[in-house]
Formats: sequence, structure tokens, C-alpha cells
Amino acid sequence: MNAIVFLLASAAVEHGGSAAPTVGEQEEHGAATILFHHVLDQPVLGLPSKHLLFFVLAALATLFVVRMALRRYRGGVPHGLAAAVEMLVLFIRDDIAEKSIPHEGRKYTSLLCSFFFFILVAALLGLVPFPIFPAGKPGVLTATSTGNIAVTMALAAISFVAQQYAGISKYGVIGHFRGLVPPGLPAWLLPIMVPVEILSMFTKPFALMIRLFANMLAGHMVITTLLLLIPLMAVVQTFFGVAMIPISLSLGLFIMLLELLVALIQAYIFTLLTAIFIGMYAHPAH
Amino acid sequence: MDANALAYFAAGIGAGLTIMGGAAGIGRLAASAMEGIARQPNAAGDIRGAMIVAAGLIEGVTFFSLIVTILLAIK
Repeated sequence: MNAIVFLLASAAVEHGGSAAPTVGEQEEHGAATILFHHVLDQPVLGLPSKHLLFFVLAALATLFVVRMALRRYRGGVPHGLAAAVEMLVLFIRDDIAEKSIPHEGRKYTSLLCSFFFFILVAALLGLVPFPIFPAGKPGVLTATSTGNIAVTMALAAISFVAQQYAGISKYGVIGHFRGLVPPGLPAWLLPIMVPVEILSMFTKPFALMIRLFANMLAGHMVITTLLLLIPLMAVVQTFFGVAMIPISLSLGLFIMLLELLVALIQAYIFTLLTAIFIGMYAHPAH
Repeated sequence: MDANALAYFAAGIGAGLTIMGGAAGIGRLAASAMEGIARQPNAAGDIRGAMIVAAGLIEGVTFFSLIVTILLAIK
């Protein structure tokens, strides 16, 4: 974050000369410290958590953009933003919800749309660097709220509740748990199958949580590491640092473009897997 | 070797093995999907969708072990 820009600006001046950095300085500005300062949650701008800030920003941006699209939609033939949102919503309804949850896709479309748009907006917002000036020093603030495991855990918990609700609302509590094991199973298999099915009930949302979290974390770590190569090389010799700038920036830009793709794919996968799991509980194997 | 060095060593080896497994899985998946698309260009959309889901599942398992290696490395 700020430390990176500060280091980028000062690396050539500070470490380029003959004065070797002291041990204490290295500890404070070490590459690993900066990397984890960037990806872990930090208080920022007087607020307790940067991920919370970006979480609220992403939620507000989602609401605002979709409401704006809705208002334009009422005018008649949708174009521009309204057409884009309509295309995505139709895609979620027809290709994700109704294909994965037969007969009941529409009931869960609103939930799946919320998942898709929130994860997409949160991931895209995490790629935008915001300039900030804490204590007069220039810095950059970027954070992906879905790169925090608490946020993805909450999303996965909502997904878990939706999956269980799909089964329980249709078959009742007893029917739902009876439907976990296929009927006609030999009785001696039950002691194995019941624990396995109950375990898989929890590993599904757990996998959703880890997948989204790790994807968002990994992109930021790679970009930060690539940018940190500049000061790391500048410590060796100033010229190496300067020569590293175009390489680092172009590689970082490439990863940023890849992250655009990853944002879309992760939003799609989270939504699709939630729909598939809901469909599995709504229609267990008979 | 002290404990920290062993942890870093394990993290490096683990990350390498993880990538080998993930790359083998997704590589096989992509190869089969391309063969399928080449045989049936009409079904390209469906095959691509199924491929992305399977790739996501493989990737999820890969990330489990990558997180273990990260925990080893920052221990």
C-alpha cells in the first residue's frame, strides 16, 4: 500500500548510495512485511478495516449501478448499462439457475444474482488503485474485500443456508436428511455413508470459501511481488532497479488483465456451484 | 537445518508439487475439452462451460494445498 509507493520512490535514493541499510530498516521494509501489509487487513484513513471499507463500497456500488440500470430499463428498449445488466441477469436466470435447479430456478435467481454481482463488483473494485494522502504522504489504497476470509466465509454461510433451505423447505427436516443417502442402499453401508454425506454438506461451502478467498489473495500477492522486484533489484544496484521498472510494470499489467478474467470466472463459478448444490438438495438422487 | 529452514524448504517443495498436480489436472481437462470441441464444434459453448466448472473444482483443491504451503512459509 503506502509503503510500496514510499519504497518505490525512496528505493533509488535511499539504497542506491553506498550507505547500507541497517538491520532494523530491513525488518521494517522487508519484502515479506510489505507483501503481507498489502494483503492482510489494516486500519486505514481512521477506519478500523480497509476490507470493511471496500466491502461497503462494493455493496453500495452494486446497489447503485443496478438501480440505475433499472431506472433506465423503464424507458423502453434497454441500451447501454441496462442492456449489460439485463444480459448478465438473463444469463444467470437461464444458463445458471434454471439449468442447475430444475422447475425452481426462478425462486433462487435473485439470490444467485446478488452473489454474482457482489463478487464481480468487489473483485473489480479491488483492482482499482485509489490515491490517498495519509499524514501528507502520497500513497495508494487497493484492497479486495473478498480477499478477506471473513467476507468469503459469510458468503459461503449464506450459500450453505440456501442449500439447506432448498432441501428442508421441500421435503421437511426429516425428509431432507433422509434424502441425503440414496434409498435402497445396503444397511451395512449406512455407518459409512451418513458421516460422509454430513461431512460433504459442510465441505461444499468450505470449498467455496477457500476458492474465492485464495483466488483474490493470489492475484494481489502476484502483482505486489512483481512491483516489489523493483526496490529489491535497486537494493543490489540502482541501475538494476531502473532496468526492472518496464519489466515489472508490463508483467504487473498482464496479471491485472488476467485478474479481470479471474474476477468474472470466480463470480461465475461461485454462482454456478451454489446453484448446482441447491439443485442437488432440491432434487436428491432417487 | 533448524526448524524455520525446514519449514521454508517444505513450503517450496509443496508449492512445486501443488503446481505440478494442478497443471496436470487442468492440462488434461483442456486437452480433452479441445478434442471434444474439435469433434463437435456445435457443442463448444456447453463444453466450455463444463470445462470452466471442472477447472474451478481442480483449482479449489490446488488452493487448499497452496494455503498449507503459505502457512508453512509465514510460520
